[in-house]
Amino acid sequence: MMLLSLLPQLVVSGISTGMLYALIALSMTVVYRATTVVNFGHGDMVAAGAYASFVFGVGFGLPFLVAMALALAVLFLGGFAVQRFLMQPIIAAPHLSLAMMALAVGYTLRGGMRLEWGNETINLPRPYPQDVYMLGDVVITTDDLVICGFVILLLAALFVLLQVTPLGKVIQATFQSQRGAALVGINVPAFHAAMWGGGAALGAIGGIMLAMITPLTPDLGQWTLVQGFAAMTLGGFGSLGGAVAGGILLGVTEKLLGFYVNTMFIEITGYLVPIIVLLLRPQGLFGRRTIVRV
Amino acid sequence: MVIGRRWFWLIPLGLLPVPLLLNPYQQYVLNTALLYVPVGIGFNLVVGNLGLLAFSNVAYFGLGAYTSGIMMATLGAPWWLTIVPAAIVGGLAGSLASIPALRGVRLFYLAIMTLAFGELMRWTYIRWESLTGGSMGMAVPTAHLFGWALDSDARKFFVFLALVVVIVIGTDKLLRSRFGRAFQAIKDNEVAAAAMGIPTDRYIVLAFAWGGAVVGIGGAMFAISVGHLSPASFDMTELILQFAIIMVGGLGSLMGSIIGAVIITIAPQVFISFPGFAELVFGLLIILVILFLPRGLASLVARVHPMFVERYYRG
Repeated sequence: MMLLSLLPQLVVSGISTGMLYALIALSMTVVYRATTVVNFGHGDMVAAGAYASFVFGVGFGLPFLVAMALALAVLFLGGFAVQRFLMQPIIAAPHLSLAMMALAVGYTLRGGMRLEWGNETINLPRPYPQDVYMLGDVVITTDDLVICGFVILLLAALFVLLQVTPLGKVIQATFQSQRGAALVGINVPAFHAAMWGGGAALGAIGGIMLAMITPLTPDLGQWTLVQGFAAMTLGGFGSLGGAVAGGILLGVTEKLLGFYVNTMFIEITGYLVPIIVLLLRPQGLFGRRTIVRV
Repeated sequence: MVIGRRWFWLIPLGLLPVPLLLNPYQQYVLNTALLYVPVGIGFNLVVGNLGLLAFSNVAYFGLGAYTSGIMMATLGAPWWLTIVPAAIVGGLAGSLASIPALRGVRLFYLAIMTLAFGELMRWTYIRWESLTGGSMGMAVPTAHLFGWALDSDARKFFVFLALVVVIVIGTDKLLRSRFGRAFQAIKDNEVAAAAMGIPTDRYIVLAFAWGGAVVGIGGAMFAISVGHLSPASFDMTELILQFAIIMVGGLGSLMGSIIGAVIITIAPQVFISFPGFAELVFGLLIILVILFLPRGLASLVARVHPMFVERYYRG
């Protein structure tokens, strides 16, 4: 069967795309778990990370890894500042205001990026050669390898950070109970700001890798946000492992539906998934049920 | 001393001779401000009065606009005949968007779903080329109102003004009735509202449907005002514009929707607009309003005189 023989290829490229979704969903989950605020401007922070890397790498001509490190530092400081100076003052306000604030920050960023780079399509140069490897019938590109390897490395680092280090204990304590963490002497507002910074930097890594394989435009953020949400809801909102599993599953689903049903599913899977999942199984595949019912 | 609210009638009456003073461009901007009044009112009803994070307003707006435009272009219907269908389609889309809310989806979850719904609609306009002209867009023929051609912006202005007055009065009545008080109760505490015997589900659907219908009418006005519909008009930049209207005007305030619509549509005309400028300015504006004026400009107006304070009981 011709169609079935393509299945491994689709799964491989789906996993590769899904790893990027996973990374972005993970960075959103970190912010959500730490602060119980969903960052609706996160997609634009992801795009901002890619642009920052472009400025340092292409604009100033710095080596790729240096440019990336600088971009991550900028995004960390940016995320930190947004939480400290914009979110923290209204932290007691209703969810509506918090969501609006995050959204407005995102729009401001996007507007700034469009003003500066709106008319050009930018491709981040890859710092590695583009090769193609054959594994049986399956084509694997260096893009796939680098993305998968890098994301797995990051996940391992994150896991070690959370499970083994003292900082991880602080993070876990605050994830579990903010009041409890405050009672044992953890500086919760500083922690929140640091998590926003960390989330932004983590997302920026995803943005940089995304900008290497697709053209970079200011609208990247909007698309990223929807895909990240789709991955988060699929895996279960607020679950770190769920975000990763959801991202990979989303990538594979998108490719399979796009090939076997209709190519339009590549474009709309990200929109359909959160709608269907939230209607049928709001807790996602791995999440706990926390949705308010009346 | 009580000054009657009937004095508010002076505002539309005072606007009647305004077209004599304006050049066509200024008239067009004023028409745009008028058509965004229903858009803001519908959005504010769900987000401000009901307190639910529904981000699908642009979807109702686009559906209303396309309903009107397609009926005129392919069926040859006169514009006035498309207003009610645009409202019905917008209202149905609103009811559809309220289904997750009835299933207990709240807060960010609802925001995500409605955001996805809005994007899905934009994708539909792009893909359904036979009806919408795809991403190139479609031309909207000259509008007619009972045989009277609305071929100048000044003529459209009077029709828009009449529609806006009807919508404002209708929504004002709705908010001051038991419906409006039920919305307020649901916003304050949904569980308590349900415990008091308020059928919360019914009111949520009603608010979404009314909001969607009103925004749909705004869409029909948009269709003839710009004369050309393309999916790019209903993207995320449009969403930030509509957000800016209700946030800057004042959440949960009818007057806020009106003030916001006027300011947010007229202000960008003052400076030359580059791509991205609108997003940047509206984003900063919303940030400043949330930080320093959480109830929006309407709260400033309310300080001027008690007449401007909005109340949800008869008085």
